[in-house]
Amino acid sequence: MSAVIETRNLTKTYGTVRALDGLSLTIPKGGVYGVLGPNGAGKSTLFRILLGLIGPTEGEASVMGGAIRDPRAMRRMGSMIETPRYPPYMTARQVLTWLSLAHGLTSDTARTDRWLERVGLTDAADRRVRGFSVGMLQRLGVAAALITEPELIILDEPTSGMDPPGIQEMRALIRSLAHDDGLTVVLASHQLLEVQRVCDRVAIMNKGKLVREGTVSELTTTGERLRLSVSPLDKATALLGDRGTVDGTALLASVPRAEGPALIRALVEQGIDIDEARWVGTDLESVFFTETGSIQTPEHDHVG
Amino acid sequence: MWADAIRAEAFRLSKSRTTWFWSVFFAPILMLIMGAISSFVIDANATKLAADPEAPPELTQMMAAAPLDLGQAMVANAGNLSNALVLLFILIGAATVYAGDYRWETWRLISARNTRPNQLLGKLAVVTGLSLVAMLVMLISGTLSDLVQAAVFERSLAFTLDAGDVGQFFLLAGLSLLRILQFTMMALLAAVMTRSLMVALFVPLVLGIAQFFLPMQVLPPMGFMPDSWLSILINPGGAIDALKDLVRGGEAAAAVADHVPVRAWISIVLWTVLPAAGAIAWFNRQDLSKE
Repeated sequence: MSAVIETRNLTKTYGTVRALDGLSLTIPKGGVYGVLGPNGAGKSTLFRILLGLIGPTEGEASVMGGAIRDPRAMRRMGSMIETPRYPPYMTARQVLTWLSLAHGLTSDTARTDRWLERVGLTDAADRRVRGFSVGMLQRLGVAAALITEPELIILDEPTSGMDPPGIQEMRALIRSLAHDDGLTVVLASHQLLEVQRVCDRVAIMNKGKLVREGTVSELTTTGERLRLSVSPLDKATALLGDRGTVDGTALLASVPRAEGPALIRALVEQGIDIDEARWVGTDLESVFFTETGSIQTPEHDHVG
Repeated sequence: MWADAIRAEAFRLSKSRTTWFWSVFFAPILMLIMGAISSFVIDANATKLAADPEAPPELTQMMAAAPLDLGQAMVANAGNLSNALVLLFILIGAATVYAGDYRWETWRLISARNTRPNQLLGKLAVVTGLSLVAMLVMLISGTLSDLVQAAVFERSLAFTLDAGDVGQFFLLAGLSLLRILQFTMMALLAAVMTRSLMVALFVPLVLGIAQFFLPMQVLPPMGFMPDSWLSILINPGGAIDALKDLVRGGEAAAAVADHVPVRAWISIVLWTVLPAAGAIAWFNRQDLSKE
């Protein structure tokens, strides 16, 4: 699997603050890659270095096989960093034409119209952007990132400020770009549920470092537990020993998935009644809070 | 590529009607209206002015019955294309082009695909184009003003222009363009360094006023006469005016001391090249991710 982004020991300091602290990360080609982390984790700094807006203090980074700020590599990448703002006197169509020209392309109405349609802005194509909502600006930002038909796009908080239907449409667009058009989409988001639904792979960053990386299923199946509603509870707890934890009126059993059926059989054979058994615990949110040391939320049911 | 930066910047500027109105059309329209009003006022007081021995010679000349030579008037106007009013309003356009991206954070979008010097030089090329258009409109406005004057004072029209006049026209127009670019170059540097449209507007204004008054009011009592090194060095506008006088010839040229042209060119080059080079160097290492 070839990589579209590679960083090695990437470090960025602002005075005494280490925004990135020796980050080594490989983002493979294809699919949707999520970068997660609390505020100050270094996500935006990473993106800004990748886009050539700032330089690293130490370490190396490459995009599409080229060095940062290498125009040949940069031409294969599009981006939207936070909510974009455009000259307010321009229409959406003019913004895309202007950016096409800035990127060395011709003024191609068919191309701009195609991307406006793709992000759902066809009806607003000739409206000045000064009247756009935040959500519309986000959509236009995505179209602007795509206007050069790149192989890689970097999106920072792509659904920020959008209403629920808009968020759903954006999610569908991102997945379609990755799975129908073959683009690699790298996105940062604070919406953990969104990342879980949209991304194929995830990196969790904290304090400028990479703390976990893998596919969403890899991250969410590690550490899951079997939640058992049993009676009598104390007998079942004694049987499980240090593998069991009481959670209210239920018992949480830390056993691998493969051993679940055997455990249930053993409990039944010991005369313990089981009202309910289901796998719980590790959605992406739980992993995120565990890894970043942020405030833990109550355990969530795990689908699957 | 530089050409991409120019095309994109020109496209964006072409869509900003406000910038066009204020930086290109407002000053010529204002001057045309003022010129017409003054012609009518002078005409209404013609008898009184003709009898006044202290009336300025320009007024007497305006009311003369001799034909108004539009060719010669055009040459004279070319030397006046970088007057204070033109500079003030072109500065609005230049500051908008130079500082606009910071307002809209569009550097994030466009800087990934082109080198930063190319992008800044693209803006410089577009401001040069804007200045040329503004000069052309100003020239047309000046000619219209002359026509109004001719009609008001019932003067006949003539048009004489020989090769020497054409050469003088282009030299004066070129020096006017150079003055506009030199003046707006400080807006480029201020825009890059401060990321503020207002600072990009006010730094050249304040500096321009200081450059105008220092050699006349402050330096002579300190022993620096207007044609001294220091006076010419700090006043590129005055330096360009001296070169224009040389181009005009006659009494104006005779009043320019022999050592002035070299000092004038040094002053102009310093005040034009240094801000541009400083802006490019600063921009090249600037953190564009911050607000």
